[in-house]
Amino acid sequence: MSMPLPLLVQLSWRNLWRARRRNLILISTIVFAVGAVVLNNALIRGFQYDMRDDAVRNLTGHIKVLAPGYRDDPSIMQSFELGSDWRPDVADSQLMGWTRRVVVPAVVMSERETRGINLVGIDPGDERDISFIGGASIAGEGLKDVGDSRLLMGAELADQLSTKLNRRVVVITQGADGLNREAGFRIAGVFDAEGTALEKAYAFTGRVALQKLLDTNAVTEVSIRLNDAASEPTVGARMTAHFHDLEVKGWRDLEPLAAAMFEFVDVSILIMFVIVMLALAFGLVNTLITAVMERVREFGMLRAIGMRPAQIVAQVLIESSLVMLLGLSIGIMVGLGLTAYFADGIDLSSFAQGMEMVGMRSKLVPRLMMEDVIVVAVISVVLGLLGSAYPAWRAVKVKPLEALRRGT
Amino acid sequence: MNSENVVVECRQLSRIYEGEGVPVKALDGVDFSVARGDFVSLAGPSGSGKSTLLNVIGGLDQPTSGSVFVDGVDLSTLRQAALADLRLRKIGFVFQSYNLIPVLSAAENVEFIMQLQGVGAAERRRRATDMLDTLGLADLGNRRPGELSGGQQQRVAVARAIVTHPVLLLADEPSANLDSKTTKELLELLRTINRQHGVTIVTATHDQMVMSYAQRQVHLRDGRIESDQRVAAAA
Repeated sequence: MSMPLPLLVQLSWRNLWRARRRNLILISTIVFAVGAVVLNNALIRGFQYDMRDDAVRNLTGHIKVLAPGYRDDPSIMQSFELGSDWRPDVADSQLMGWTRRVVVPAVVMSERETRGINLVGIDPGDERDISFIGGASIAGEGLKDVGDSRLLMGAELADQLSTKLNRRVVVITQGADGLNREAGFRIAGVFDAEGTALEKAYAFTGRVALQKLLDTNAVTEVSIRLNDAASEPTVGARMTAHFHDLEVKGWRDLEPLAAAMFEFVDVSILIMFVIVMLALAFGLVNTLITAVMERVREFGMLRAIGMRPAQIVAQVLIESSLVMLLGLSIGIMVGLGLTAYFADGIDLSSFAQGMEMVGMRSKLVPRLMMEDVIVVAVISVVLGLLGSAYPAWRAVKVKPLEALRRGT
Repeated sequence: MNSENVVVECRQLSRIYEGEGVPVKALDGVDFSVARGDFVSLAGPSGSGKSTLLNVIGGLDQPTSGSVFVDGVDLSTLRQAALADLRLRKIGFVFQSYNLIPVLSAAENVEFIMQLQGVGAAERRRRATDMLDTLGLADLGNRRPGELSGGQQQRVAVARAIVTHPVLLLADEPSANLDSKTTKELLELLRTINRQHGVTIVTATHDQMVMSYAQRQVHLRDGRIESDQRVAAAA
């Protein structure tokens, strides 16, 4: 005999309304938990992906090509030359942009102060698409082209050097021949980055201008930014094949801290969600046990008139699944609604100063990922079924005879 | 007795309850059989074993020793699911406290067992309506048990029990919660079912009036059959 599903669903549905208040409270709890989890996941995902994008935008890119020793000894001695017609062998649909840079350690001096920085020679046009400096707000002027020999420095650095726009600073760095070069730069612009760390660490000038100063045609890195981070391994492999004597590194290798945080967030989202849902499952079990024990006689009678134990189990499971599915679907809608409500981001500017120091943005923008919502749904249903297994077992463990005698 | 004509056969049936303290012998070597079409009352004081016997026959309780055959099937060979199927297909139950499904209407309660049996919707509805008509409950089909009187609920319970044409109707103290007028109506109904539809009825009861409607009165005491006599049923 097959399971008379429509009958069991009908019975379960009506039983829900029988204990209306109890089930409404339970459903509200599930709605609240699921809604909060969906919003929370979206916010954490927002933070996670902002963090990754920031890491990628901080001159890293998804993939970098470097001379083998550069990461241990970042200087112009560890550089390589690119043919003038070279460009990455990557489909335009995958490529957001790419650029070549010269990045060397330098000392910058104002009339008052001296600071160690990374001096970066850039192609201003290329950077627009791929790094923070392309989109940073700049007081004064940005660099015009690769030959622009003026300097773009961070607001924080300008502050530390007690200098400002249009003043001159002196930069000392090592040339390709190993001898020091010293040059004066006019400050063309002062940029404001999301994090003060960037403002302190980098100053920019035209790539060709810097190459001239260092007496070289070489660059220290090629940085590639992709449209989709997921294509990084395949593009990386192609780059490795192309540059067999250079190092090709993905953003995870270049920004290990951000990469570790990124992975950690994946796990922590799941852990937090499971904790919330476990707490909820205990509530569900508790409510269901009460509901089952109240109806012991009814289950006994159903057994007596010919309902199979498996059908009784199915009925309890269907009943709890209905509660769970109702709570879950409303909860997901609430969660999506809340996420949409906060779509412009939650302004954290009152905490933002502290956060800027660690390179975080001042606005938390939720990022809704359907796979998170699906995980929430699947785990809820699984936990709901697991949670109702015990009450269902209690319902069939009841001997029809004893059940019928109760309260008679 | 020809086995074709025997609906219930119990051989050397014992049921011992191992509770705290002394084990209680609810049934003590009972040999008991019921012919097809009979109307039997099981009587006796509390603890005499009449309800236990009824429950063992219905497969709701397992005997400690001895065997029970219902319509030729040895219950001891059946697992829980098969016992449930046997109750579903062959046995109708009427309980002391009606035990209707509270969330279903009277008509839905009557249809319920047919639904478990897999009877089609139209057929179910037709049979339930006919049965409610027959039992004078035609107007009450849409009411839920909570909206019915005790007597009405018990009639619905009887309708539920017999609408599937069971070979055996077991009634445990069916009149316990009814007044004498309603009891009489119920008994008339059971007699009609017994005589016109040939349904075998076994009822456990304290109630003299119920006994008086039976064709065979069995008295139990201390788990044994004290007397077993065929009587002329009340007019």
